[in-house]
Amino acid sequence: MTKTGVFLCNCYGEIGKVIDLESIRKRLEADPAVDFVSVRESLCMPGDAAEARALVCGRGIGKVLLGACSPYGRMEMVRLALAKEGVDVRTVRAVDLREGCAWVHGKDPAGATRKAANQLDMELAFLQNMRDSKDVAVRIQQGALVIGAGPAGLSAACGLARLGFPVHLIDRGTSPGGLLNMVTRVYPSDVPGPEKLAALVAETRSNPLIRFYGKTKVASVRGYAGDFKVALAGPEGKTTLRVGAVVLATGARLLFPQGLYGYGKLKGVITQMEMERQFAAGKPACQSAVFIQCVGARNAERPYCSTICCPLSLKNAMRIVDEIPGAKATVLHRDIMTPGSVLEAYYRKALRMGVQFIRFDADRPPEARGDGQVSAVDVFDAINGTTRTIETDLLVLSTPLVADPESAALARMLEIPVDRHGFIAEVYPVHPVETRNDGVFICGTARWPVSSDQAVAQGEAAAVKAASFLGRQTVPALSMSRVPGTKLGHAEADASACTGCGNCVAVCPYSACKLQRTGNRSVSRVIKVRCKACGSCASVCPNGAMQIPEQNYRVTGEMIRRAFREVP
Amino acid sequence: MTADAKNVNILVFACRWCGLIGADTAGRRRMELPASFRVIPVECAGYVEPDAVIRAYASGAAGVAVLGCHIGGCRFNDANHPALKRLELLKTLLDTTGIGGNRLLLGFGTAHEYHQWADTIRAFHEHVAGLPSMASWLPAKQ
Amino acid sequence: MAGNRKTILVVGGGVAGISAALDIAAGGHRVHLVEKNDDLGGQVAKLDKFYPTDHCAFCPLWTEIRRCKESEAVTIHTLSRVETLEQAEGRHRAVILESAPVVDPALCIYCGRCEAACPKGAARPIWEHAYPPVYCIDRERCGDCRACMEACPTKAIAFDRDERKITVDADEVIWAAGFDEVSLAPMKEYGWGTHPDILTSLEFEAWKAEAGDNRGKILRRSDRAVPRSIAFIQCAGARDLRFLPYCSAVCCMHALKQAQWVKRRNPAVDCVILYTDLRTVGRDYYEYALRDFNGNGVRLVRGRPSMIHPLPGGGIAVRYEDTSTGRREIRKFDMVVLNGNLKPSLPSRPAPEARPERGDEGFVSPTAVSCGFVMEPADVTESAIQASSAALRSILGTRG
Repeated sequence: MTKTGVFLCNCYGEIGKVIDLESIRKRLEADPAVDFVSVRESLCMPGDAAEARALVCGRGIGKVLLGACSPYGRMEMVRLALAKEGVDVRTVRAVDLREGCAWVHGKDPAGATRKAANQLDMELAFLQNMRDSKDVAVRIQQGALVIGAGPAGLSAACGLARLGFPVHLIDRGTSPGGLLNMVTRVYPSDVPGPEKLAALVAETRSNPLIRFYGKTKVASVRGYAGDFKVALAGPEGKTTLRVGAVVLATGARLLFPQGLYGYGKLKGVITQMEMERQFAAGKPACQSAVFIQCVGARNAERPYCSTICCPLSLKNAMRIVDEIPGAKATVLHRDIMTPGSVLEAYYRKALRMGVQFIRFDADRPPEARGDGQVSAVDVFDAINGTTRTIETDLLVLSTPLVADPESAALARMLEIPVDRHGFIAEVYPVHPVETRNDGVFICGTARWPVSSDQAVAQGEAAAVKAASFLGRQTVPALSMSRVPGTKLGHAEADASACTGCGNCVAVCPYSACKLQRTGNRSVSRVIKVRCKACGSCASVCPNGAMQIPEQNYRVTGEMIRRAFREVP
Repeated sequence: MTADAKNVNILVFACRWCGLIGADTAGRRRMELPASFRVIPVECAGYVEPDAVIRAYASGAAGVAVLGCHIGGCRFNDANHPALKRLELLKTLLDTTGIGGNRLLLGFGTAHEYHQWADTIRAFHEHVAGLPSMASWLPAKQ
Repeated sequence: MAGNRKTILVVGGGVAGISAALDIAAGGHRVHLVEKNDDLGGQVAKLDKFYPTDHCAFCPLWTEIRRCKESEAVTIHTLSRVETLEQAEGRHRAVILESAPVVDPALCIYCGRCEAACPKGAARPIWEHAYPPVYCIDRERCGDCRACMEACPTKAIAFDRDERKITVDADEVIWAAGFDEVSLAPMKEYGWGTHPDILTSLEFEAWKAEAGDNRGKILRRSDRAVPRSIAFIQCAGARDLRFLPYCSAVCCMHALKQAQWVKRRNPAVDCVILYTDLRTVGRDYYEYALRDFNGNGVRLVRGRPSMIHPLPGGGIAVRYEDTSTGRREIRKFDMVVLNGNLKPSLPSRPAPEARPERGDEGFVSPTAVSCGFVMEPADVTESAIQASSAALRSILGTRG
């Protein structure tokens, strides 16, 4: 049995004034599992810390127990420093005797001492019964797959390539660009869409690290962070790739306003995309344009704001007023969504150029009138409380971006969740381009409606995140933790006891448990790279086959048994 | 502390995040708490299974508390949802067997701020202290 | 990975700065992270709750702060400023001026004896969740008795420590200085400063914080009574050509968060948000706002107030036009929370010619690499995205 070295900290009396450290020391020294007990004045101070490290090294002990202050404070730093002395950090356990005991039980020193004794015993039991779940080193495949070559995907691909990683960039279209190819002017810079992407597109051709596959989709994905086996289906048949990271940048679609505001029935009622096409062909032939915002958006069916529609209408309205002499443009809106400095300035510019704005409420939407061709729009002006009629020969409907069903299918393949609108979920709040599945990143409108500038920024973000992962040749699975420090361990199923019930598969938040057929049985297998040691699988296993070796059932059982043991 | 208070043994399973950060801050504020509870830190409340809770009662705990993060706030992507459901179910079982579901406290999200942690612990201590002794449930001493 | 190891200077240790620093460090490069306050976290770490989850704000940020502190590639300079910044041999030579804190964080064991010994209440922890926790001495309250020094068991306290000057040769600089509040005193119509119950939203956030003095209770600042009504005023000073012409992007959601939280704590309080455009662009934000419409009770009134002033008999009068009825109203509220007075932070050092170029509205222009609010009004998620983007651009290099 490996013995444990125990360090108790007096913290200059902060702990010792309440807890009888002497009696605890005597008790622990009598425990056969304990190698030595060293009581220190202040474990985190240089002198004591150095002596502690020397003692650990000198005795060659593999297990250390600390009785000190809070795990959210200096005790954690001591723990980590001791772990550098050749001891596995997971075998340095600690009990909070200060914030967790002396400082909250100051009026009951006897009770505090009993509690301290019990808690230290419990951690000794942890150390004596813990097992090692054996780390695995994941060899990271050096390439990345970027799915979708719109602004987000292009930006991600170029970012990764510039950082030195080979990139496979695929798109279901013939050439890169996505929706932006059809946009004649991008707000707020007023640069044509293709021109905005020109540099990025050129780079996909010139940079030898980027390989572009047109008219190609993903047929299947297997594997996990660092090692994804992907099958692509393209015009030349199937291609298989092995990549370390996958970036999903598959974009979104614009909703068709079928049946709304006379679309499809009245001439002159068009979508924003059709407006773009008219500009591309020259000047739209109209004397007046009315834009209606939130068509099919911010309603019960699609309760979200699609980010781009207000600036889009401002852009097109300004163009109409600017390019067609004498033309009028009116924007019918519920709120003008131009947050920030740049977009608010864009809104003020539209106001200065004479674009008219009329506000309506959701429960009293405008109505389009016309006989074969749109001739006017009636709207109840919510600010001045009157119904107004705007004569117009062009009615442009701002519809939201909606999730592409192919994105959802891909998300399922990559085992990442989509939200109720079909957009792909991120790790909220400070990891916006990362997903629950390590190694899979999302950017652009597949994630949530955003502008092309934002999509490009997200592509860059995805590139730098993916690159930092790819940049490590091998990665220990224990280090792939979402919290500071290494994971406690990985769950493991005892194949002889596992009945293949699948409870663990259902409950694992990371899809780390899989059922594998061996012979005529199914047995659970844990993908260590994905496991975060939350313990959910172990707690739903009906017969104890699934455990986290470091905090196995015997550990917990022993800790429970010792929790209220009498302390003489 | 009265003689009764000696039998107020409370075992707290607390996740290292919302479960224990409140405890830490309560400590920093020197809030006085009864010394009747022992803490088993876990990565996530999802680790806590009914078997462990029952074992705790069998080992002398008069009350068990499971403290985790808010529903929707779990670091491990909602691993606390199934945990809450199965522990609520366990309460029903405890009621049926006569041990009493009121000996199991589920605090998901209520203990991440220090005064809430302190109030939770004190209130549970008072509550358990008022319950009849667990003696009839425990095995005879060896 | 291709390329040699770069050194990148990140100015500002809030969400944006921390995110950029971590990405750069993960990419194999070195970071010097300069923060003017005594710990990382910036404005966001002080918030009580985040929207749209309504979960406590510090926890996700705390993980990132800890990662920064444990990263060997990130050198953190707190209580520091970039004193000078010059071009030298194609790189940026920065002199970082580090003020030494009175309490040495390397020696402070957080025992609290200084706090117990101080007769003026000048010794306090730097913030609730600092890792590791450390005390500091508020020089303004300090009476110079030095009782704290005597009480400290590790001799961590020393007054009049010298400042340190650290020279860093950086390949790139990322500006991530975040935002500050602007005083609304010049805008007399909002009445800020005339009554304790007229507060800015950040003042209200601290006042109502779960970890604050009131333990999350909603109370009036004037007499600690429970308010019956609270008005949240949007665009206070913002979208206003006389003051701040831009939109701060975060205020509408911030008001919704606060108002909904008040209702959750105390459903009887009448909460009214006076807004112009309710800007709920962002993941799940519109649905978050919808929670108001459906029986929760936060009332949304479209209209900008023309006058907010204290009433002699108590309470605060708000004069506004309700655009849905077209009528002008004067209503009495027990508290008024003002949203909109945020500006990109303008450090006074280094010298103007070394500072990045700014546009008319004070935001750093694209000629420099920047991220977060100092670049463009942005919430936590947007700032994190911009920070990663800035990290990439600085790793790749901005020259040639």
